[in-house]
Amino acid sequence: MIILMKQVPDAEEIFIDPVKFTLNRSQARGIINPSDENALEAALKIKDSEGGEITVISMGPPQAENAILECMGRGADRGILITDRVFAAADTYATSLTIAAAVKKVGDFDIIFAGESTTDSGTGHVGPGVAEFLGIDQVTYTVSSRIEAGMLIAERELEDGIEVVSTKPPVLVTVLINANLPRRSRLRLKIDAIKKGVEKWDHDSLNLPPEWVGIKGSPTLVGALKIPEERKRESRPIKLDEIPVLVQDLVKKGIIRTGDEA
Amino acid sequence: MSEFDAIVVGAGPAGSSSAIKLASSGLSVLLVERADPPGSKNVSGGILWGNELAKVIPDWEKNAPLERFVVSKGTGLLTDDSLISIDFRSKKLENNKTGYSVLRAKFDQFLANKAKASGATLVTGVTVDKVAFKDRKVIGVEQEGDVISSDVVILAEGANPRVAIDSGLREPIGDRDVAIGIKEVIRLPETTINERFNLRGSQGYAGEYVLGFLKDGVKAGGFLYTNKETISIGAVINAADLRANNSTYSYNIMEQFVTHPFIAPYLEGGKVEEYSAHLVCEGGIKSVPRLSGDGYMIAGDSASLGFSNGLVIQGMNYAITSGIAAAEAAIEAKTKGNFSAASLHSYDEKLALNYVLEDMKNFKGIEGVTWSSLMHKAVPRIAEKVFFDMFYETGEPKRHLSEILLESIAGSGMSKSQLILEAYRAARRM
Ligand SMILES: Cc1cc2nc3c(=O)[nH]c(=O)nc-3n(C[C@H](O)[C@H](O)[C@H](O)COP(=O)(O)OP(=O)(O)OC[C@H]3O[C@@H](n4cnc5c(N)ncnc54)[C@H](O)[C@@H]3O)c2cc1C
Ligand SMILES: Cc1cc2nc3c(=O)[nH]c(=O)nc-3n(C[C@H](O)[C@H](O)[C@H](O)COP(=O)(O)OP(=O)(O)OC[C@H]3O[C@@H](n4cnc5c(N)ncnc54)[C@H](O)[C@@H]3O)c2cc1C
Repeated sequence: MIILMKQVPDAEEIFIDPVKFTLNRSQARGIINPSDENALEAALKIKDSEGGEITVISMGPPQAENAILECMGRGADRGILITDRVFAAADTYATSLTIAAAVKKVGDFDIIFAGESTTDSGTGHVGPGVAEFLGIDQVTYTVSSRIEAGMLIAERELEDGIEVVSTKPPVLVTVLINANLPRRSRLRLKIDAIKKGVEKWDHDSLNLPPEWVGIKGSPTLVGALKIPEERKRESRPIKLDEIPVLVQDLVKKGIIRTGDEA
Repeated sequence: MSEFDAIVVGAGPAGSSSAIKLASSGLSVLLVERADPPGSKNVSGGILWGNELAKVIPDWEKNAPLERFVVSKGTGLLTDDSLISIDFRSKKLENNKTGYSVLRAKFDQFLANKAKASGATLVTGVTVDKVAFKDRKVIGVEQEGDVISSDVVILAEGANPRVAIDSGLREPIGDRDVAIGIKEVIRLPETTINERFNLRGSQGYAGEYVLGFLKDGVKAGGFLYTNKETISIGAVINAADLRANNSTYSYNIMEQFVTHPFIAPYLEGGKVEEYSAHLVCEGGIKSVPRLSGDGYMIAGDSASLGFSNGLVIQGMNYAITSGIAAAEAAIEAKTKGNFSAASLHSYDEKLALNYVLEDMKNFKGIEGVTWSSLMHKAVPRIAEKVFFDMFYETGEPKRHLSEILLESIAGSGMSKSQLILEAYRAARRM
């Protein structure tokens, strides 16, 4: 099994600079992207019952090693950090392509678990993107998964209900944040993880054309980042017996419609 | 064979200093910290007094994340309407740096990383459950049922030492052992802090206040320390008092302190960035447990080697000193190949020789004064009245100072005989 994991800044520790009004992430600690914790837990559950090895792959700066060690402390067996200056500023296309190349290099895999989306950019592109580059099936929005007679049985949480899917690996599964309760790391496993270490793969070890990776391999252009202006809401105190008047007001302003009109 | 020579529980100042010493002397060390990163759960008003760190990090003054160095030290009495204070501002403090303000989130991380760089295995984000015993000897630590073995375990888990208590290595912490510390970190521009406290560059102010305005017999002290771009402000509240007065809440005391007319202007316009509460060792030799035994030692706050008296809080310096002493004892034990209680007793001896245990004994007395009603109730009121009457022009001839003093004592809420008795006790203990 393979887990795709991104280290993200802890959203609780990002603060707005009181002078410059910019987002200050410098003091935020790096954590495992929340739904990737669920992806790891989904894989660990399968490992608990079926056995198998789990490899964590993450693309990011050198500090992301810490989040990989944390995954290994929870039970992943191997950690790979894809890190190289030339991978910087990749969009979701280049990120997916690079990660897919790393998965291929790992070689034999059956199930790849990814989080549904990240808390820092949250496009939800990367899981499906990796599946496409690898040319394998994907099962998205899952809340549970298990192996039965060589098939992966997963529950997808959709707007209109739960869909149960049965598919034959290799397959990429994206996991929702409410899928399970991630376990905590164990001292024994963390010591072992530190002894084992995290493998670092750079551009050379993936052997991809330079124009396919990083900013060069990214077709997306970010024009600008803007904080939308807050709309001022009108409000006034009302008494309970004024409710009928209020309703009429709102109908008049076109904010609500009465049932007879509809 | 044990997996490690030493396991250190807790990467606060005590644990990390210990681990640096051990690892740089060639011992294999596991340093376990429940917070990730280290320091992210730690609270400290944060003046690091003294030069203890130099023993393990000679260039710490250059490289540690220090905020400001104290050039101005204030001690004040606060009543509802007044602040009576003595400020010690001195060129001597500029030339001999005695204390630096630190922010624990950064400082603890620095120390833990030093331990790692010295060769210690640093595991963060994991809480040790217990120590592991074999034949009543400590042989390592236990976590989620796994035993990690070591020749010696150094417990440096802070003021709420669950591992030591749950493993039966020290008595539970009681009201008489601790006070309750509360702290806020308030963000303000560097230039504003410099203007408000009359500071330049990285000069800093450290102030301690008797909160004499408190009602209901609760005694508490306040502190205010400047960092580069923040102010650490907090209160230390007598735990027994707080328990005896159900209607008083610690956050109310804090609120009254930060909104006091002569404190609030320092903080005006600032944004509260952190709020936290933590136990503070109240000091005194009476709280210090057995410090070592077969295969273990206890250091820092876990061994109640800290001190607070409602005025000054010291702990980091003792934590560092005791952590290093424990490491030295472990290194000697390793050379001897003997980690028995008798061998590790050299830790106790080191603490008796350096100033740590001596200080703890002395504080036993001072604490009786600094937590006294004399200090917290009578003195602020008397001082306020004496000063006010001295400066207040009534159009009548000035009265004699002793007359004012006697009248102030009468209005202080303490009887004259009580006052004389407490003052006598105070003088004897200083
Ligand atoms: C401010 C800002 C704006 C951006 N704007 C754009 C933009 O407009 N268009 C664009 O294409 N890109 C943009 N990016 C870049 C984009 O965030 C990265 O490409 C990122 O690596 C992947 O996107 P994501 O975080 O949305 O991941 P998601 O697609 O939300 O992640 C889903 C899952 O994929 C896996 N995964 C994602 N990233 C990694 C990784 N690095 N390593 C291992 N597994 C991973 C995880 O399992 C994760 O849970 C922007 C980045 C920033 C900081
Ligand atoms: C409000 C306040 C203000 C203070 N101001 C000052 C001051 O100005 N100057 C001063 O010198 N002192 C001050 N102190 C006291 C000082 O903070 C302590 O004395 C000092 O931190 C003690 O260091 P330590 O290493 O023994 O414990 P700590 O700093 O408490 O470190 C213990 C570490 O162990 C970890 N830990 C605990 N249990 C476990 C476990 N089971 N497994 C793994 N890790 C664990 C904790 O997360 C923590 O990081 C103040 C304290 C407070 C509360």
